[in-house]
Amino acid sequence: MKKTIIMTLVVGMMTMFGANAQKAMDKFMVQVDGLGCPFCAYGLEKKFKEFKGIKNVKIDIETGDFSFNYPAEKALTMEAVEKQVEKAGYTPVTSKIERANGKVEESKGVKLSDNSEGTIAKKVFVAGNCGMCEARISKAAKSVNGVSEISWNKDTKMMEVSFDAGITDLSKIEKAIAKAGHDTKNHKAQKETYDGLPACCHYERITK
Amino acid sequence: MKHLYLLVVATILFSACKQKEEVPKEWKLSNIVQLEGVNPIGIAEVDGSIWLSDGDHNRLVQINNQGKILKTIDSLDRPMHIATDGASLFIPQYGRDNVAVYKNGNMEELVVGDSLDAPAGVDVYEREKAIADFYNNRILFNNGKNWISFGKEGKKQGEFYYPTDVQITDSLIWVADAYNNRIQVFDKQGNFVKMMGQDQKMNAATGIYVSDKEVFITDFENDRVLIFDKNGNLKQTLKDEIEKPTDMIIMNNTLYIINYRNGKLSSYTLNAVDHKES
Repeated sequence: MKKTIIMTLVVGMMTMFGANAQKAMDKFMVQVDGLGCPFCAYGLEKKFKEFKGIKNVKIDIETGDFSFNYPAEKALTMEAVEKQVEKAGYTPVTSKIERANGKVEESKGVKLSDNSEGTIAKKVFVAGNCGMCEARISKAAKSVNGVSEISWNKDTKMMEVSFDAGITDLSKIEKAIAKAGHDTKNHKAQKETYDGLPACCHYERITK
Repeated sequence: MKHLYLLVVATILFSACKQKEEVPKEWKLSNIVQLEGVNPIGIAEVDGSIWLSDGDHNRLVQINNQGKILKTIDSLDRPMHIATDGASLFIPQYGRDNVAVYKNGNMEELVVGDSLDAPAGVDVYEREKAIADFYNNRILFNNGKNWISFGKEGKKQGEFYYPTDVQITDSLIWVADAYNNRIQVFDKQGNFVKMMGQDQKMNAATGIYVSDKEVFITDFENDRVLIFDKNGNLKQTLKDEIEKPTDMIIMNNTLYIINYRNGKLSSYTLNAVDHKES
């Protein structure tokens, strides 16, 4: 009887430790935009799987839900995750971390400026190929303070952007887009940034 | 009388020759089947039935004429452009860096003798095999005895920028050089022979199928399938009910095209060219 009680206690403790070990993982959920080409998306998923300690990497191409678990002891930050996601070619829209200690951290997408009396609309050529390009171009333009609306047409390569002319100008918006890797009519992306884009985003570069 | 006899014979011969004149034909949409919950990437025929790789859901499915799933092979990791030798299914697993061989309910791994990085396509022709090794920008080819490898990252002839599909024919190897937006053709020693489609402004040439007379390529982002003759001359462009096409096959004179985004199987058949339309 004594042996049975000891055994039960040992098994119980082992189960508890096992559960705690499993709990010591932070869960990361990132909503990404522009997934479309399975070759790139699966490839990026594959590249993430190579990170040491990462578990349960999942990408739902239809919803854009990207999630994974990472050891809590490494205290991976939201900023680092978003940077890594961007480096891998995705465009994060919103992110959420459920820490192993129960804490929840969330980051929302960029808030666009409201239309003001000084809002003007401009069209400009921006080079790109696919849905992933569209998401990246959009996010880069939205990151500029004063931008209220943005759309980019994959077929015509024309971007339509509305912004408060008292706060920003088209050149600043084009520069932000070029910095993200896309040539615009007046600003070219750095070669290294262009080279770092996923294969499906390697558009024909603007030559002048 | 002798002349009359000769005239009759000549007339019969002439009309027989005339009958043999080839009528120009083109592929026309004949049917669409909506696949339930399948985002197909590869297609293969085994004993007259269609198998599809469903990369998003990590499985292969066998479907009937109405698109209903008859059988499923689960637990795969991003299966891509599949192939068959009639008995086995060859499944490149993009997420697992191997080619699985499925036969009679058993799964084995194809021994390649080299490490793959995201195999995106495989083909089998008699005893020969070829693999499109996506991230390594190369093709692996086995002539029935030994493996050779050819290609490297680049844009020049003989170089690849992420090959996604491959097909072996009698004397050649045809490659969907996806992000160079072209088809490249090699002999079985891996020497470059020719390229085609490079002037068609394709945007991701992801899937290839070669029939006796024609070469079919999916233009993924532009929602088209381009058809070339074996010399690379564009014969026809298919757009009807095509959205993010990934692969195709001809079975019983019907061309089946799979569409990744909308999960549709579009069927095309050869019809005489309607001159009124052109």
